[in-house]
Amino acid sequence: MIKLKNVKTTYEGEKTPVIKDINLEVKRGEFLTVIGPNGAGKTTLLETINGLLESRGEVIVFGKDIRKFGTEIRKNIGYVPQDFSCDSLTPFLVKDVVMMGRFGKIGVLRSPSKKDREIIRKTLSFLGISELEKKPIGKLSGGQLQKVMIARALAKEPEILLLDEPFSNLDLNSRSDISGKISFLNKKEMTVIMVVHDISSIPERCKRIVLINNGKIIKDDGREKVLGG
Amino acid sequence: MIVLPAKIILFAIFGAFLTGIACSLVGSFVVRMNLSSLGFCMSHAAFAGAALGLLLSFNPLVIAIIFSVLVAFILGPIAEKAKLDTNVVIGILFSLTISLGLIFLSFSPGTAMSSTALSILWGSILGITINDILRLTVITFSIILIIVLFFKEFQAIMFSRKMAEASGINTKPFYYLILFLTGITVALSLKLVGGLLVFALMINPASSAYQFFYDMKKITIFSPIIGVFCCFLGILLSFFLDLPTGSSIAITSSLFFGISVLISPKRKRG
Repeated sequence: MIKLKNVKTTYEGEKTPVIKDINLEVKRGEFLTVIGPNGAGKTTLLETINGLLESRGEVIVFGKDIRKFGTEIRKNIGYVPQDFSCDSLTPFLVKDVVMMGRFGKIGVLRSPSKKDREIIRKTLSFLGISELEKKPIGKLSGGQLQKVMIARALAKEPEILLLDEPFSNLDLNSRSDISGKISFLNKKEMTVIMVVHDISSIPERCKRIVLINNGKIIKDDGREKVLGG
Repeated sequence: MIVLPAKIILFAIFGAFLTGIACSLVGSFVVRMNLSSLGFCMSHAAFAGAALGLLLSFNPLVIAIIFSVLVAFILGPIAEKAKLDTNVVIGILFSLTISLGLIFLSFSPGTAMSSTALSILWGSILGITINDILRLTVITFSIILIIVLFFKEFQAIMFSRKMAEASGINTKPFYYLILFLTGITVALSLKLVGGLLVFALMINPASSAYQFFYDMKKITIFSPIIGVFCCFLGILLSFFLDLPTGSSIAITSSLFFGISVLISPKRKRG
């Protein structure tokens, strides 16, 4: 489903690549967690897979080159960015922000249908945030905003879910709740790649861990082997 | 107060109505996308174009339109290819266009302060012709149509361009479309409010609408309503107090914005 071969990503103006020699294969329905110290290249790896950064090497998702077919491929990838924020006067309601996640899938020159609105309602309900539907996005707490961004990613009913520190800003109860919901989605064959810095937050269901440091994959193995060693 | 022929007044009212809608509609996107200085930059490009027109003894309005649209066309690609912040590119283009304008004027002695040059800088609503009305009608309806057709894409880009891209939207054409619409709107509004004040009509009504709503749809609807109101009130004041129309509209819209900030429900506590 996802195949990275000798991938190297360098930011504009930088000489040293943030990630290099990355070779990674992720099968359909797999649950993979990427761990590593700050600045190791975890977010860069996630954004490279999503085609949001220019990179060298081969990045193949759904059998297609992400650089050529990025827009098309991203219609089936849910992405939750790290620490997304917006100012308190931002003129968007929660339901609109969540619906935006489906815009690519709905397509140009088409308006959201009754079915799309029903999916948004169900997604908000699944994450237990139905009451936030008509709230301005800028008035939410950090934890609520995090859940809304997860809802936005899920609203497109993606085949792949990329989560960058999904538990940041969440309290312990919400962490365990969201962790359970991600595991539930993975049980339903959704491929999940998650980036975390706190290894205690990795859901039980995740059996494969990738350890990354200085932009290179140091270990890519079963949970016990990576975390145990 | 001077008594004017009904035709001139009618054209002025129509012109104000259409300019108010076009500028404020585009303005609601320009404000949200943090491109407020874009209108400023384009109006100065129009000034440079008008000055070149004077130097070459060619219709200053035509060259002003070309310059203004040109800025819109080069702004996006330059910012993107050079990976520069849009405001940096705007800043550079602004100083370039104003310098060019002054150079062109310095080479055209005697005409620098002519009424043609001044009308492009400050606007000349009473000089609006049927052709101007037709051009404004076409651009206003085109803007409305484009916004209706691509509202969801514009909305997603305004929330976050990166997240819109992650949602599977090819943001580039839509971003350029906004820049182009801004350029053409500035250029065609020159005759009413003038090159130096057109950005006020673009920014002030939209910024006022932002003070009242959290819903982008409502902002997009109310921004042109405020724009038209400010245009009419500005024209009335200019007729009765014998003020330059462009300045009068700019002052009215600025006052409207000030009052909006003061009474904004979004800024109230509790």
